[in-house]
Amino acid sequence: QVFDEEGKDVTPHPLFHSDPNTVVPRQGKLLASSAYFGATGSVFLSSFSMHQPSGANASLGSFSRTYGSSSTSISNASTTESILDEIVEPGSRGDTTVSLSDVQVRQEEIKEELTKADLDRRVDLYLTETETVWILDMPSVVVSVESEDAGRVLERNRIYVDICTNRPGNDRFVEKMMQTINGAAKNKEVQCDKIIMEDKGMMVTSWDLYDLFHISEIEPTSKAEGSRTTTGKSSKSHTTKEHDRTMSVSSDRGSPTSSTMILESAVLARIHEEEECHSEAVLTSENFQQDLFFMERILMENIFQPKLAAYRQFPVLTDPDVTSDTSGTVTAMKEAKQEKHDKEKKDKEEQKEAFIDPSILSGLNKTPEEIVPPRLERLWSYVCDLTNGHSVSSMVWSKVNPDLLAVGYGAFDFKEQKKGLACCWSLKNPMWPERIFQCEHGVTALDFSMASPNLLAVGMYNGSVAIYDVRSCNDAALLDSSESSNKHTGPVWQLRWVEQDRGATGDGKKERLICISADGRITEWLIQKRLDCTDLIKIKRTESEKKKLPGEKERKSEALISQQAAGMCFDFHPKDTNFYLAGTEEGHIHQCSCSCNEQFLKTYRGHKGPVYKVAWNPFSTDMFLSCSADWSIILWHQDSQTPILTFSSATAFVHDIMWSPKSAFIFAAANESRVEIWDLSVSTLNPVISLFANPRVKFTSVLFAKNTDCLLVGDSKGEVSVFELQNLAAPNSNK
Amino acid sequence: MSLKRSSVQYTPSYITLLCLLCNREKAEVEETLKRIQAHKGVIATIVVNAEGIPIRTTLDNSTTVQYAGLLHQLIMKARSTVRDIDPQNDLTFLRIRSKKHEIMVAPDKEYLLIVIQNPCE
Repeated sequence: QVFDEEGKDVTPHPLFHSDPNTVVPRQGKLLASSAYFGATGSVFLSSFSMHQPSGANASLGSFSRTYGSSSTSISNASTTESILDEIVEPGSRGDTTVSLSDVQVRQEEIKEELTKADLDRRVDLYLTETETVWILDMPSVVVSVESEDAGRVLERNRIYVDICTNRPGNDRFVEKMMQTINGAAKNKEVQCDKIIMEDKGMMVTSWDLYDLFHISEIEPTSKAEGSRTTTGKSSKSHTTKEHDRTMSVSSDRGSPTSSTMILESAVLARIHEEEECHSEAVLTSENFQQDLFFMERILMENIFQPKLAAYRQFPVLTDPDVTSDTSGTVTAMKEAKQEKHDKEKKDKEEQKEAFIDPSILSGLNKTPEEIVPPRLERLWSYVCDLTNGHSVSSMVWSKVNPDLLAVGYGAFDFKEQKKGLACCWSLKNPMWPERIFQCEHGVTALDFSMASPNLLAVGMYNGSVAIYDVRSCNDAALLDSSESSNKHTGPVWQLRWVEQDRGATGDGKKERLICISADGRITEWLIQKRLDCTDLIKIKRTESEKKKLPGEKERKSEALISQQAAGMCFDFHPKDTNFYLAGTEEGHIHQCSCSCNEQFLKTYRGHKGPVYKVAWNPFSTDMFLSCSADWSIILWHQDSQTPILTFSSATAFVHDIMWSPKSAFIFAAANESRVEIWDLSVSTLNPVISLFANPRVKFTSVLFAKNTDCLLVGDSKGEVSVFELQNLAAPNSNK
Repeated sequence: MSLKRSSVQYTPSYITLLCLLCNREKAEVEETLKRIQAHKGVIATIVVNAEGIPIRTTLDNSTTVQYAGLLHQLIMKARSTVRDIDPQNDLTFLRIRSKKHEIMVAPDKEYLLIVIQNPCE
């Protein structure tokens, strides 16, 4: 404890102020005391200091109130400072006392441990009023006339008014101005590095945003891949390392730079080091192969556009100025071009008109005066280097896609045997086949399956049957009959997938692969793990009905090499697939049934040479047609054993015939040197159209197109030509 | 065999392996390219990579680079147009028919396949 000369306690009090709450009332007290400053004098304060109650604050509050009621003399302003000091002191004292009281309070606050018995104990609660806290005290400037201070206040007011009146012109009041000194300014310079500004522009497109969002979605799943790429990048030289790092960082952050930019810079980073491999990769990438494929097709479209349009039977634009010459569209186009220079605009207008009004076209094409003869217009031909030299043996359309054609290449003749080929051609690319299947032996027959349209069955000269899957480019056959013990020993001349109604068993349509071959058997092949077959029927040799000369003894049966006759062709009845016709090498056509495999139902004799093809008429299903090496084509009725009509027009083998899918009267025949179209409603003696082949070429097969008026003709050079049938008479549904 | 370049490290042994494996596809590709080139009316066939460096071309270098540069910009614009309308769509093929030729471009992220044909012959 420190005391100054007057004996007052000036002990430096601790800096620690225990509780701000306790500070406030102290200040309040001070304010209260300063409020009464005007009214009360220093006497009050000194007496206040003397009274230092150590206890509750409430007593202090009441203390000040009692002082308010008493009146004491007014102190002057000169004693302000001393009063202020005294204010401080009691404050300090009060502080210590407060702190003391505080400590005392704290000691009292130590909690007792509560026990269960305490729940029943009587607890006394004391409610006390806290002291009044003065927050703001504004003394009033108005005093009542009847108060005790009234006189004093009036007196003071009067003095003030006197001073105010005496003020002007009084020497005691002087106006004076003052100027504050401005502090001296000091300049300070600072230098820093130039802040380099870079302008960057980006165009954000909606697809850019889309890409980014999708990359960020894919990001968590492909994080492993991403980390691998970063490690892959870091394995390169140092120069690119930082670049890569910043790139990977930026990509992680998902910066607004476009993803393509990142990819491009990634590509750039790689390019410098592996340029060769990159171009290799490009050339062998799948996308590139696909693009090449499409490009080729588009080129073809450009080259063959008018022909393909004719195939699809689009109306052909001809210039009406040109005389309507039915010599095809190509010449018309050429003439139009020649006139272009002279009247270009006029041409265009007229072409437009012609396009809008196709009736004019058709009118022009067939002027009523001339009767335009029917003709075959050659559109294009499916040929390529690979197929050159192979003879076309069979052609078949895909069951699902009418633009897809399968062609089998193989020679008929024993001496000309070489490796065969089966190709799938698409309309969209007439210059290169879509699929090429190389076969060991010449291909003699093919067919597409209906139930699974990707399967192509191929029959070969050595009697084996192979099944290819057209979906794959693989050269290997899906299934092969070479392991089968029951396979054919002679060339498979025809094979077909036939839908069989199994109404009895309730199985629904089932498809079977049926083949006929030169070893005299018609077999049904079962597609299991290995290809195996069961016999449907064995074609027995039937003896020719020779009239027994009277008087001759019974002749001994001829010694035959084999009991069986070579089968050349077959055709199932279009309505009832239980019946079928089989043509043999002897020249007989047998009608057989699937349910009876011992005997034929009927035999049709008429041909003198091997029957190359039989075909039921798709419209009037009682008739069928057969062609043979005896230069003739015979039309039969199924009930009559003798031919109805015989067509012979040339001294050449007739290799192939086919009924037109559009008319009951029209059929096509491939003689060796020409293709003939017969229309029975027009003439039964002569073919309606006859097209001659090049001298060294023989026509070997014909095929009608189902969705258009076109005929495909295959020849011995490996060319499949597509002809458009023009101006054939409209099919007559009667008869 | 499709190469997904983003997930593969190109070590020298890997490159040789790729070359051996890809020979079959490469032969097919070369054959197709030759066939395209031999078609009627085809003036030029160009394959350039993403930077405009020609990989296969039948024209002289300066013309190739010119075509590649100009078509690259056009492809970017065309692709941007297609994708702006529908971001899920993308450009697959572009054909420009002019008085004299038809220019056909098959674009991809990594290359441009350009064929110039004179269809009138």
